[in-house]
Amino acid sequence: MPLSSSHRLLVRLPLLATAFLVCAGCGKSDDAKITVYRIPKETQPAAMPPPAATNEAAPAEVHWTAPSGWEEQPASGFRKGSFLVRGADGKTADVSVISFPEAAGGLLANVNRWRDQLKLAPISNEAEAGKPMAVGGHDMFFVDLVSAQPIGSDGSKSRILGGIFPANGKTWFFKMMGPDQLVESQRAAFQQFLQSVHTSEGASGPMPMTANTGGGNTNAPTPPLIAAAQSVPLQYTLPPGWQEKPLSPMRLASFKATSPNGKEIDVSVVSLPGVAGGDLANVNRWRGQVTLGPIDEDALARTAEHVKANGHDFLVVDLVSDAPIDVQQGKQRILAAILDENERAWFIKMTGEDAAVTAQKSAFTDFLRSLKIP
Amino acid sequence: MTATAIGSDFLHAPLRFFASLRLTVVCLGLGMLLVFLGTLAQVHLGIHAVQARYFQSLLIFWSPPGASWKIPILPGGYLLGTVLLLNLLAAHATRFQFSRKKIGIILLHFGVILLLLGQLLTGLFARETQMRIDEGQTLGYSEAPREVELAVIDASDPKFDQVVAIPERVLARGGTIQNPTLPFTLNIRQFLPNSHLAMRSQESQAPPSMATTGLGTNIVVAEVPRTVKDDERDLSAAFVEVAGVQGSLGTWLVSNAIPDPQSFAINGHTYELVMRQRRFYKQFILTLLHFAHDSYAGTDIPKNFSSRVRLVDFERGENREVLISMNDPLRYRGFTFYQAGFDNNDRTTVLQVVRNPAMLLPYIACGLVALGLVTQFSMHLFGFVKKRSR
Repeated sequence: MPLSSSHRLLVRLPLLATAFLVCAGCGKSDDAKITVYRIPKETQPAAMPPPAATNEAAPAEVHWTAPSGWEEQPASGFRKGSFLVRGADGKTADVSVISFPEAAGGLLANVNRWRDQLKLAPISNEAEAGKPMAVGGHDMFFVDLVSAQPIGSDGSKSRILGGIFPANGKTWFFKMMGPDQLVESQRAAFQQFLQSVHTSEGASGPMPMTANTGGGNTNAPTPPLIAAAQSVPLQYTLPPGWQEKPLSPMRLASFKATSPNGKEIDVSVVSLPGVAGGDLANVNRWRGQVTLGPIDEDALARTAEHVKANGHDFLVVDLVSDAPIDVQQGKQRILAAILDENERAWFIKMTGEDAAVTAQKSAFTDFLRSLKIP
Repeated sequence: MTATAIGSDFLHAPLRFFASLRLTVVCLGLGMLLVFLGTLAQVHLGIHAVQARYFQSLLIFWSPPGASWKIPILPGGYLLGTVLLLNLLAAHATRFQFSRKKIGIILLHFGVILLLLGQLLTGLFARETQMRIDEGQTLGYSEAPREVELAVIDASDPKFDQVVAIPERVLARGGTIQNPTLPFTLNIRQFLPNSHLAMRSQESQAPPSMATTGLGTNIVVAEVPRTVKDDERDLSAAFVEVAGVQGSLGTWLVSNAIPDPQSFAINGHTYELVMRQRRFYKQFILTLLHFAHDSYAGTDIPKNFSSRVRLVDFERGENREVLISMNDPLRYRGFTFYQAGFDNNDRTTVLQVVRNPAMLLPYIACGLVALGLVTQFSMHLFGFVKKRSR
């Protein structure tokens, strides 16, 4: 054995071993490093030729036109649009346009948030919150609130005029807040502002290609990827006898149908990011709604059906209460389909009196077959 | 016995241990056991956790259910690979002697050494990320599909965003985070690797939120185990308290399920907080011009997926169209872009972005092993033929 070479190696072996083990122990070196960088804003036009035009529909944008006399302010953070309204006496009111993904907590929670800003007590009845109005073929919810006592530093009462507008998986909030008198004098202008709101097929790409007439939202972030799946309107064929209902912030589609026995049933389409708690948790939540006990995965697998439609595999559950839930309603039935796809969970749910839902079972399946998940 | 002899013996004992053929056999046996157990464990842990816990680790630990302590039960992939490598090197130093007759074996062993080294380097330095690009969209970054980051963005400048990106591992440690570019500290009060988010209005019995401001006050968060499924993504969440010189500005809930940034102002600057998939910015940008999904005529059976992209690299003056298809990836600046998927009614492409500095090593290693085998067998064959002809 050549002694010299083995000696050399003996010195190197522990070194080599230590180096390896240290390397192996530390993992990817930049996994735990905070990085700081400067990037052009995502909505800034990149210095490159624009992409070839395509005719395909792109995520819709919401646009508006500000009445004359409103001073445009830079949009920032949540604000997709911001305006300052000056009164003759130097008082100012603030107009903001913001959007949140999904239902943003629901209508009532948001109206109560505004009520809180005016030191008004929260309400629990949606009917008291405001009134629905039609804007550009869409449903908007109009809110008019005035404080009970002076809030501003000048001793005047404050007023909020607001419009809540669900559009393509987002909820848009248009709000004017300021001294009561000033806001009241701007009521017509604000309504004109709400009337100008419309969705259009915005250009795709890293920046909005169409200039925003009202200004203000050119800084709006590109719709995030997770919301992009939702920006495309739902397409479906309405089964005979079903009627479209106004959308609530959570619902992407909402229907009612009346059965021969006069009972009304409710159908909703809701989509949430992720698996939204998982199939079992949702089924058990629905079971609770029809006073059934929870089940486990095995029982779910045994009782649920799979409906294949349009290349999607819906998990369909049919739940009926053991006894009438209340005297008027009789037994309740929930027929619901769940689809987990593209990192979103889709819930199509039909609720109502047992016989009424049973009568609509085939219409429900037809609806699933016609539904195009974006 | 002289002092030199003792010293020499003291040095030779570990060398003999590392050079022993028994060690090779034990390591190979343990390696087989590791592969077997790792395969079984995938059922409950998923492939990514198994890779990290069984193969990219020094030791595999076991703890009885409910216990807080753990004991090592098996050597992990890195330890076995390292010992095998040392074993091979030590064997060469002690047993093998360089001669022309052994050239094949030496080549072969050198190939195996390279293979082990290549695997170690791949495990340490390779990174796989994804790029999801909509048609017409331009992206300059890829995202880690299984790792989040907290981005703190100074959005005050109308043209630029200054981003402080805090990776998941730092968030998971919790505690206070300071960065010289931020005029405040971040206190990570809780980090949930996977969570279930629900609107508070739907969960009336939920306890009050840790969040005091922002969207989080309306959201109920519950921790759930990390997903082990390949096609699911964790929804991570964290409660982050922002503390300026004047005191706390509030606690925000951030989650990759809340894609819109939440903002606050301090010192006249507007900052945004957002949790998102960890981003890796590139020195170039890609624009998806068109995604094509071809089927065999008259059927729904996919034939080919391809993405026509424009690659623009201002630094190198590159501006060209590239077609990425299933077996024809784009290789640029050390990154390989594979066509991995599609989405959004064929209007979004998903590219797998792989950066592996040790990519060539396995090819070279296999070449060397093959060359070594051919050399060794040929030498035997020629020797045999020569003997026969005599």
